[in-house]
Amino acid sequence: MSKRSKSQKQFAGTEGELISMTRELDELHHDVGMPIMAAGVSEMIDSMGAVPQATNRQTSRRTFLMGTGAAVAGGAALFAVGASPGLAAAATRGEARLHSVSSVDAAAFPPSDLKGDLAVAAVAASLENLAVFAYNAGINAALAGKLGAVPPAVKQFAVTVKSQHTQHAAAWNGVLTGAGKKKVTITNPKLTPTVQADFAKVTDITGLAQLALTLETIAAQTYQAETSMLKSSAAIGLSSSIQPVEMQHIAILYYVLGEYPGAQSSAGTPLAFNPTSQAV
Amino acid sequence: MFPHEEVTMTADPRALAELLEESQDTHADAMRPTHEALDELVDLGHSSASEDATANRAFHEEHQRSLRTSIGGATLLGAAGGAALVGVLASAASAASSSDVQILQTAASIENLAVATYKTALTLPYIGGSSANPVVTKFAQVTMGQHAQHADAFNAAVKQLGGKAQTQPDPAFVPVVNKAVKGLSGVTDAQGALGVVGLAMELENIAAETYVKDTVLAKSSTNKALFASIMGIEAQHVSVLLAVQALLKAGAPQLISLAPGTAAALPAAAGSVGFPNAFYKTNSAAPANQGAVK
Repeated sequence: MSKRSKSQKQFAGTEGELISMTRELDELHHDVGMPIMAAGVSEMIDSMGAVPQATNRQTSRRTFLMGTGAAVAGGAALFAVGASPGLAAAATRGEARLHSVSSVDAAAFPPSDLKGDLAVAAVAASLENLAVFAYNAGINAALAGKLGAVPPAVKQFAVTVKSQHTQHAAAWNGVLTGAGKKKVTITNPKLTPTVQADFAKVTDITGLAQLALTLETIAAQTYQAETSMLKSSAAIGLSSSIQPVEMQHIAILYYVLGEYPGAQSSAGTPLAFNPTSQAV
Repeated sequence: MFPHEEVTMTADPRALAELLEESQDTHADAMRPTHEALDELVDLGHSSASEDATANRAFHEEHQRSLRTSIGGATLLGAAGGAALVGVLASAASAASSSDVQILQTAASIENLAVATYKTALTLPYIGGSSANPVVTKFAQVTMGQHAQHADAFNAAVKQLGGKAQTQPDPAFVPVVNKAVKGLSGVTDAQGALGVVGLAMELENIAAETYVKDTVLAKSSTNKALFASIMGIEAQHVSVLLAVQALLKAGAPQLISLAPGTAAALPAAAGSVGFPNAFYKTNSAAPANQGAVK
């Protein structure tokens, strides 16, 4: 057997072990990760200084936690901004429900009543919404057989990553509602047209992975850039707790694409320091 | 034990053969933002030269307390540590240095330890030798180089703030790593590879968690940016090592490959094993002054 054929040999017999490992990690996430996230957001809400009354804050915390639970359960409903028919239709065929397609001027986002860290939170939420929306569209396109054969690992990746982005969006929206502001339920107005155009060109899993790579890179670099611009320690902490996760998504996407699994230049050279040139 | 012929796999020669050569060319480009940031850091350092010594001492004492938490919190690295280390390590930290200097020195000490660990690992036949998976070998080589660059960047920041460069490995973790390396003696290649991957993963995770925390602790925005530019890189190392570990444990080392078509053969679980948490934790972060220079 050649090395190449061995390398492509279908994995068999140990799937159960890997599934078990994944289940344990998922349980660990829910046991450890979510409470930490919830505590971090609560702390952030406290430190934002924009909450009018303590009673409102307490209510907002409860609302946030309830919202997070709903998001984890996959019940998030997004209002897409200017989604293309293809992307919107693909995203509609599934658990995510598209309630409204409207147009929001990118220049008018984030809303003028959001300043400082809250404006950053709004942008972050919109980026996460866009990622959720794109992954959902990709999953549904794959399920519809429009992207050819879908490797099991790629499907698992998309489903898991979509869940994590949903949680990220819920965390940022928890910050906003905790400060007495409205949730951001739109996809990022600046990037949505580009994602629409790119998604329309996707015909296979490789194309979808490359689109996902672009979105993850923008998200990671945006969070990274925000780290030195945010004022609230809790906001910095939340942003910094998400950036490495987006970077991990990037690493696995590169691996799936057969490229070096880490941050790299356009020529494919690994980078020891992640850039911020694609931050929004 | 896995047969050697299964461990040795085809790597993508285009992607891998040129990595280290190109790395030198792009290093300067990648470091440019860091150097620019360091200019700002100098200004900040000068302005903070009169920083209250009481505040520095309070920072030092606070992190002596968190040191105990760190030693108990890490798994493999914490298990062989123990409270006896606390007194020794606490004395290593200098209460006279600014908090940012101490944070940066600790970060450099973690990077120094990572470089030393990968260097040792690459001398082992199943990591850097003929029986090693070439993807794992290249990963170890590239990653070791990246950690060296991180150490240089942290020490450059330290020196520009008037501090002493940290050239030694993190004192808390050295004996643990040494013990883990000794434990690899006499094991099979498969066991050894798993042991090294597990150890490297813990080190990488400690680095990532420490820098996530440091983005909050650091006082200057420049230092925050420096930590932020590195934390995700370390998290990616963790992600790769998690995937490699899972495939090794599953008896599928042939899938540790960048060859075309590999993705199609991966089990479903491989698609998510590399990012277990939606939010990166910090409970294994090293105390901020653990590696500070006396």
